[in-house]
Amino acid sequence: MIGESRLSSPQETFLATGDALTALAERTAQVDALVSRAAAETLFPALPSAALLAVGGYGRRQLFPYSDIDLLLLFASERAAVDGKEVISAFLQQLWDSGLRISHSVRTPAECAEVHENNAELNISLLDQRFLTGDRVLYAALAEKLPRFVQSNRETLVRNLARLARERHSKYENTFYHLEPNVKETPGGLRDYQLVCWLAQLRDASGSRIEAPQTSPELEQAFRHMARLRCYLHWQSGRDNNQLSFEAQDSIAEQWDGGDTARWMREYYRHARAIHRAAVRDLDRVEAASSTLLAQFRDWRSRLANADISVHRERAHFRAPQQLETDPTLTLRMFEFTARHGVRPSFEAEQQIGARLPRLRAQFAEIDDLWKLLEPMFGLPHAPVALRAMHETGVLTALFPELSQIECLVIRDFYHRYTVDEHTLVAIRNLWEIGGPFRDLRSEITRPALLLFALLFHDSGKGMAGEGHVSSSVNLAQSAAERIHMPAPDRDVVLFLIRKHLELSAVMQSRDVFDPQTAVDVARQLGTVERLKMLTLLTHADISAVNPTAMSPWRAEHLWQIYMMVYNALTRELETDRIPAPMGPPERVEFLEGFPTRYLRTHTDGEIAEHMVLEGSSRARGAAVEIRRLDSAWQMTLVARDRPGLFAGAAGTLSSFGMNIVKAEAFANRRGVVLDTFTFEDPMRTLDLNPSEPDRLRNLAERVIAGRTDVRALLRNRPKPSPPSRKARILPRVSFNSEASCTATLIEIVAEDRPGLLYELASAISTNGANIEVVLIDTEAHKAIDVFYVTAEGKKVDEVRQQRLAEALRKACGVPAA
Amino acid sequence: MKKIEAIIQPFKLDEVKEALKGIGIDGMTITEVRGHGRQKGHKEVYRGQEYNVDLLPKVKIEMVIPSNRYEEVLRTVTAAARSGKIGDGKIFVYDVAEAVRIRNDDRGESAL
Repeated sequence: MIGESRLSSPQETFLATGDALTALAERTAQVDALVSRAAAETLFPALPSAALLAVGGYGRRQLFPYSDIDLLLLFASERAAVDGKEVISAFLQQLWDSGLRISHSVRTPAECAEVHENNAELNISLLDQRFLTGDRVLYAALAEKLPRFVQSNRETLVRNLARLARERHSKYENTFYHLEPNVKETPGGLRDYQLVCWLAQLRDASGSRIEAPQTSPELEQAFRHMARLRCYLHWQSGRDNNQLSFEAQDSIAEQWDGGDTARWMREYYRHARAIHRAAVRDLDRVEAASSTLLAQFRDWRSRLANADISVHRERAHFRAPQQLETDPTLTLRMFEFTARHGVRPSFEAEQQIGARLPRLRAQFAEIDDLWKLLEPMFGLPHAPVALRAMHETGVLTALFPELSQIECLVIRDFYHRYTVDEHTLVAIRNLWEIGGPFRDLRSEITRPALLLFALLFHDSGKGMAGEGHVSSSVNLAQSAAERIHMPAPDRDVVLFLIRKHLELSAVMQSRDVFDPQTAVDVARQLGTVERLKMLTLLTHADISAVNPTAMSPWRAEHLWQIYMMVYNALTRELETDRIPAPMGPPERVEFLEGFPTRYLRTHTDGEIAEHMVLEGSSRARGAAVEIRRLDSAWQMTLVARDRPGLFAGAAGTLSSFGMNIVKAEAFANRRGVVLDTFTFEDPMRTLDLNPSEPDRLRNLAERVIAGRTDVRALLRNRPKPSPPSRKARILPRVSFNSEASCTATLIEIVAEDRPGLLYELASAISTNGANIEVVLIDTEAHKAIDVFYVTAEGKKVDEVRQQRLAEALRKACGVPAA
Repeated sequence: MKKIEAIIQPFKLDEVKEALKGIGIDGMTITEVRGHGRQKGHKEVYRGQEYNVDLLPKVKIEMVIPSNRYEEVLRTVTAAARSGKIGDGKIFVYDVAEAVRIRNDDRGESAL
């Protein structure tokens, strides 16, 4: 009887030396001897023309303690194999009885030299085949066929191997930063190391032989580390267990590293990163080389190249890497290129950057106004890809040493699946890929870079000692934001988001979201719709990054309901909550008194000062208007003494210029000074392409507001847009609601959008003796959704006037009179 | 044995769990569900458009307990889940014919 107990010496070798490879080779040699003896006793007396081959890990002499033993029984013909069935069974049974877990296959040389589309693993396992015992002539036939087969089917074998690897990576969310990784299957594990070896073997195979693969010393070191781990896990659990559980991490750290699990796990991730990078680099190479369609796309992508960067095989290369020595912004321009086009830096570029990291750290610290360089990059379409590349090359921590504490940091809890840095990067990716109604919300954020910065730092304090990470995260973000010269108002937004990043989750968990008081309380804490939108998106991205199923549809719906309730609470507050006793010099007090409290929260001291200057100008001219460029839109701010039709006139002026109003706010202070803000799009780029037009628009708006130009005449000259198809027609709807607000009547109008519609609606309200307190405007394709909060003589609008207004508004929407 | 199925407000889950823990009930299954009883949902206006929130988010707690404890469990869940407003939820009680612990084939109340 051949007992597994006799295989104890490899374990002793391992425990004594920690050298896994020697232990594996010893175990392989022992199993070789056992298999050969059993074959001599049971198989060959009856089947002398068979041959036995070791394949897979066993073939490589890397037989892990409890891994299956992959045996290939080679026969000259299928007939011979069928005839020997009973003998083969007896042979396998003998091995099983002796405690060896055999995984066998029976093949002919011809079968081994066929492409198995549905069993790509068989083809791959033969790359590591090794003759054990039996008919040498039969084996020679296979040994001659195999290299020729590999050479002539190289492309198919590579494609199948790449497909298997990509499927496996995707099963693990394409990341190696798992809190409890599987040392064999997780990206960056032993299977990936093998992938690199196999791809090298396939690439180098000549028609006469398959060479043993050569890998880099860094990769070899990583492989030894993983092999050591896997040996430990097998012997510790007494089975084929490859899961590096929290318990296993503790016990390994205890034995190997004085109990410092965090440091030891960082070591693990460093090795996993080396293997993963090599595997992904090789996968990218073979996939790019094997696809004609991709090659065409690649040619097109190479046109993206600029003075600093060239594109080759879907990767960005430095044209003059030596400039990295003197110009640290070249590194940032590389990542800006990635953020803009989604083309990642080449392996060579990553190495060139990596070699200069210590110097880069010092150089980054010397750049004034780093935020000015980073903000545009953080708002680009592929910013998450760039950030990941920055993280992998070490540039992210060179820029922000504050983040080094969370690198590869394992925080154990039941729900989190990734390390803290990976969770952060996944959250940022989620923000860019967000779906459902949250997608629209994302598109409304005018400064996505602020949101990204807040996400980057939201958990940065988890690396610090002490209870609760939020205040540590705020401190770290503050020090980073100050260092890169982020302007104070932007900094306030970022720190606010980090400080409150658990707030909405807490509301979801512990407050009745349908209780109006909940919405009012949250609204009071957040202050503005803009902050609510950003915090909602941050919460969604953060929860989704905990694990792939954390953001269930139920939870997303719940979050959206909170968003809606708080949004409504915030917008209703607009016309009820007024600044009671403003602070500051007398002229400031005079200006602010009576504005909604929202005004103070949505405008910086600088903007308030600008508005006060505008008010000064308006005293002389009757009205003052300012027009400025925002990131993706324009904004018109006007200050004037209130008078009927003022809002309508301003809206009409913008329409007469072909502008599309997307947002508007109207405030009035106690002295009857009105401050209106219109955010509008310029679809024909009139203002961008004609430098004198913003001034002309400003002058015209001032003349209209002062009553010197008739806006009606201007609108008559606008070309009429072609109407949408009949099927897409929007039926106008006007509804009144006097319950939604304490002091005003809410009028909701949904109508087909057309130039001047807002002007017509606002005129209809003004000419019927009602005063517009607040306007919320949205446009979806050709559908206008306008909400007005109006009063008449300082009160809600009564029934009689509502009827009159309804008729006038319907007429403005184009409904014929009843 | 009785099976208790309690449908409660999501924000009451922690309180209910704590209260059950307080009387020694640890085993339960929790599901995120949507629904309505007499509360019937409501309409929300968001940016001028109506959203019908007809199925409201709720949490379902399921547990099987010895028959002699079910009154005590009902009282505990009711007290912890009550806010006094429409929408607090409902509790249903069923008779359970058998329970089996798969690991060791324990039967009846000893499997709970």
